[in-house]
Amino acid sequence: MSDLAIPTLQTEAKRERSAIGSLRVVQTGCILAIALVIVSPLFMLLIASLKDDRFQILADMGSFRAFWAPNPTLSNFAEVSNFSGELAFGRYLLNSLFILASTVGAGLIVNSMAGFVLAWGSLRGRALILSLVIALYVIPQESIIMPLVIMVSRAGMTDTFAVQIVPWVASPLYIFLFYQFFAQLPKELFEAAEMDGASVFRIYRSIFLPLSLPALATVSILMGIETWNQYLWPILVTQTDYARPITVGIATFFGQDSIYWDRAMAASVLMMIPILVLYLAFQRWFVSSFIGSAVKG
Amino acid sequence: MTLQQPALPATAVATRPARLRDRGRLFQEVGMLAPAVALLTIFLVVPFLLSFWTAMTNQPLVPRPTPVRFIGFTNFLRIFKDDLFWTSLWNVSRFTFWILPVQCGLAFATALLLHQKLPFRNFFRGVFFLPAITSMVVVCVIWGTLFQYPTGPLNQVIGFLSGGRIEPIDWLGDPNWAMFSIVLLSAWQAYGFQMIIYLAGLQGIPDELYDAARIDGANALQRFWHVTMPGLRPTHVFVLVITTIQAFKLYTQVAILTQGGPRSSTETVVHYMVRAGFEEQKLGYASAVSVILFLIVLVIALVQRQLLRRFDV
Repeated sequence: MSDLAIPTLQTEAKRERSAIGSLRVVQTGCILAIALVIVSPLFMLLIASLKDDRFQILADMGSFRAFWAPNPTLSNFAEVSNFSGELAFGRYLLNSLFILASTVGAGLIVNSMAGFVLAWGSLRGRALILSLVIALYVIPQESIIMPLVIMVSRAGMTDTFAVQIVPWVASPLYIFLFYQFFAQLPKELFEAAEMDGASVFRIYRSIFLPLSLPALATVSILMGIETWNQYLWPILVTQTDYARPITVGIATFFGQDSIYWDRAMAASVLMMIPILVLYLAFQRWFVSSFIGSAVKG
Repeated sequence: MTLQQPALPATAVATRPARLRDRGRLFQEVGMLAPAVALLTIFLVVPFLLSFWTAMTNQPLVPRPTPVRFIGFTNFLRIFKDDLFWTSLWNVSRFTFWILPVQCGLAFATALLLHQKLPFRNFFRGVFFLPAITSMVVVCVIWGTLFQYPTGPLNQVIGFLSGGRIEPIDWLGDPNWAMFSIVLLSAWQAYGFQMIIYLAGLQGIPDELYDAARIDGANALQRFWHVTMPGLRPTHVFVLVITTIQAFKLYTQVAILTQGGPRSSTETVVHYMVRAGFEEQKLGYASAVSVILFLIVLVIALVQRQLLRRFDV
């Protein structure tokens, strides 16, 4: 190669290609290393949940035995899956699922109706309402939570399901996401239906809603993950097992002098199962939802 | 029969006075907007405005026989005199200082890797996103064991890699390490989200720009610096701002793993607020903290708007 005084375009391309080849190896190595860092803690969690000696779990953690359960058992799961009394994670899980389904269900209806009217309605002041909704987006949940606790306790709503559902149904972000989606659908769609004498609600219900599967999926996933992971609000407003969600249940393991890691691991796996099933089924939707949430503020 | 029936409602609509029809439409629109507006008003606007009022009173958590008094800016003055508040602000700043390079840098690097045409890249993208759908409470259970002192997995790996030269670290128990440990687990949990945002940003840069740069004789590094980086400017702003805002709201992992300790080294603004409101039962005081938190978030959001506007031009 060195005797070539003038590098031709071909050798240049060849050199670049071989450089790319070795670069590929480095890149793949990096990817595998990251994958190891991401996956091994999750895998350890699963394996540890199958071991029933909590001291053995900690002892195994420091070695490769963390990745292997010689005598796998479901006894931890049996221990925590009660529906009343101690370790009522069966109940907490059902509570969380109920809160999730109600919040997302009501949220889809309320936010999509509002987004539709803001996009296609004839109300005067629509633009004002829209800019107010966008302005409200900047208020973090953490900074309204103190007065909200006084409000709900005055209303006698503490320790109920409603207190964990109703306040979070309407949300500026999701109204805006629906508005954005509806607004980019063609005008002819609305006008043709209107010409046929369909009412606004009818147009929303029978024409726009069936077309908005991507928006419905995005909002369901974002809202679902947000609701599923709520922690600060439920510790402030739940006192008994009655409406306690699974996040609060798992956190109670950390209040003890000696942590029952075996049970904590089993409860954690229980909590991961529903979301993992949904993720595997709708992976593409999950990824696009998170991109969709990155709207310019 | 079937032919005639549809004609009836159609004529009915046509003969109905237009004003009446408009009013019916208006009613429907108001009805569809009302639930969202009512809920946002009751559960967002009212508590938000209330927080400014409560912040200026001595409101306790449990109602007392003595009436609630208006005390002006006393709560704010007390907050500014409390060293623990400044410690919590300093701690979230330290957290931000570490989380931005660790989490966003890693996310950016991974996105660049996955943007290449590597085998199984969709599979890896799916795997890297797994922690982002894992609840923070579960992440705390996992990392609570990883951080075990002195023989936890993290210490074993570091000991192995350093040939035993590095002493085991008491991750959550050592005031010098506790906040950095919180940074590690937070970055592990949330970086998949940032990675996805960066991937979307990379896909938004048109291939023609790269081709043009190549024809002009730009090498890979130059293409990265003059095509990729300018194209990602809005993405960088978005990611940095959202991560900074998240950092200032840091709560769950600290509340579960360290309760602000050891020696207040992981005390955060939100943790400070919740403690004031619920352990010390001073809701007025806690509301004043929440007002300060809102103002901080507002300033960051306004900075983001300004930056984005500048890049759009």
